[in-house]
Amino acid sequence: MIELKDSGAISPVSSMKRNGKVGNTLFKIAAFTAAALIPLVVITIFVVLFIEAYPAIKVFGVWHFITSKSWDAVNNHFGAFTPLFGSIYVTIWAFIFAAPISIGVAIFITELAPHWLKPIVTTAIELLAAIPTVIYGMWGLFVLAPFMQNHVEPWILNHLATLPIIGFLFNGPGIGIDTFTTAVILSIMITPFMSSLIKDAFSLVPEVVKESAYGLGATRWEAIRKVVMPYVSSGIFGAGIFAIGRALGETMAVSFVNGNNHNPGSFLDMLSLLNSVTTITVTLADEFTEAESHLYLSALFYIALILLVISFSTLAVAKFIVWRLERRWKT
Amino acid sequence: MSSVIAIESPKIDIRNLNFYYNKSLEPALENINMPIPDKRVTALIGPSGCGKTTLLRCLNRMHDLYPGIKYEGEIIFDNTNILSKSTDLIVLRSRIGMVFQKPTPFPMSIFENVAFGLRLMGINNKTELKDRVEAAIKMAALWDEVGNRLNENAFSLSGGQQQRLVIARAIAVNPEVLLFDEPTSALDPISTAKIEELIIELKKRMAIVIVTHNMQQAARIGDYTAFMYLGKLIEFDKTETIFTNPKEKLTEDYITGRFG
Repeated sequence: MIELKDSGAISPVSSMKRNGKVGNTLFKIAAFTAAALIPLVVITIFVVLFIEAYPAIKVFGVWHFITSKSWDAVNNHFGAFTPLFGSIYVTIWAFIFAAPISIGVAIFITELAPHWLKPIVTTAIELLAAIPTVIYGMWGLFVLAPFMQNHVEPWILNHLATLPIIGFLFNGPGIGIDTFTTAVILSIMITPFMSSLIKDAFSLVPEVVKESAYGLGATRWEAIRKVVMPYVSSGIFGAGIFAIGRALGETMAVSFVNGNNHNPGSFLDMLSLLNSVTTITVTLADEFTEAESHLYLSALFYIALILLVISFSTLAVAKFIVWRLERRWKT
Repeated sequence: MSSVIAIESPKIDIRNLNFYYNKSLEPALENINMPIPDKRVTALIGPSGCGKTTLLRCLNRMHDLYPGIKYEGEIIFDNTNILSKSTDLIVLRSRIGMVFQKPTPFPMSIFENVAFGLRLMGINNKTELKDRVEAAIKMAALWDEVGNRLNENAFSLSGGQQQRLVIARAIAVNPEVLLFDEPTSALDPISTAKIEELIIELKKRMAIVIVTHNMQQAARIGDYTAFMYLGKLIEFDKTETIFTNPKEKLTEDYITGRFG
């Protein structure tokens, strides 16, 4: 017979001592602190920018500041219209150049490329995103800008600048350091970003929905255009806005090729692709060292605050759109 | 060890079919010989992984969307082997329609969903489109529910309605064969009953093949039933025979619930 010894090993749970409690509490606190740090940093940045910008806000107001074109350090009068317009305008063109390419790349990778080619194209695009922005800037200044100046822009000046109605878009000195070159560089920089986001949107389309389209006798092109595209349209929109947010904040590459021109002339001149402008980021990067008066410095903080608000809201809109897309199609 | 009865002038005739998902692996389907009768419902039953869906997807060559697959043997449809390289898959799939397990409405209006296949066929005349769409929705027994809101988004319909919409979309192009891949497995009993009635109605016009994991469903709507096991066709016969007097031991074991 086996005798069961009275063993403490199976004593009731309540009497057992758990010694992991302290570690667990510490872990909780550490994780919470780490998580709380992020919103805290964001709020702090907003607050600091606002405090530093406040003298300029008091002097120039909001509406006057964002509509005034005068950026006059000598007379201590600052208006943000030119850099604000430049940031948005350059970004719009970068988006116009990058969007069709990104959509094409995403469609190619998800729907058309043979299996062995997919990883190659995907990696190539990821590598594009890995290039430091300063290198894009150098490449822009030493390779792209001269090329534009010597080969592309003379043609534009000869052929497009004379067009009725839209001719004003192509009038300007055409020296390669201008909105056009900037937008091209920016578009190359945001393409990998945008195409990978669009690719993700494409992969949300259920395989069986595509099969249904093929099952009705649709060709690849018809299935993509009529079924996949409506599915991903809001995803493409969200990706576009993410990319816009990124282009808005880009400093380094832009500072090489956009000319930092605070006096681009009339509004019509500012709209020309062959004219140089400035952007908020470039103004900030170039002028902090020169800002001698207190008001000058404060005005720089003011435009930084405006940039932050714009980037913040574009990102919020994009997040919302993507969230809605995922909620709508995920099953 | 398989028992297949002959059918006079079948709509589709599957001969010595082997199918491989990957050329280097074992075949997913092995030596399938089976006729598909016209204007009848043929049910494919068998335990999970037996190859019934794989077989169904051979019939409109849906597998061709994915790389690495291989067919051997013949599937004769309209006196031609649809497995031959020269088959125009676009034409084939408009003649052999397919309905999937989950409803797959497209992100567009109810009307445009049904008009989708028609537009692909080049029908753009408004009155003709309208008539054909209406006829298809009526045939799918959905008209009473959606007739007055054709411009609403198809996602606003319930699951059962969506599935009937998808059927309407498939029959709008007037296919000769309609393939169903477990069309009711995601639906409630009432919606299921409606789809089953619809399938019985549709067989007057076309050959129907339905994959089902539900033996009662096969017994209710199938005129013929094929039992598959481990990639092989074990038995094909009239549904009544399969369920009352199967010739193969495996079939009997399966339908009496001894495995699977």
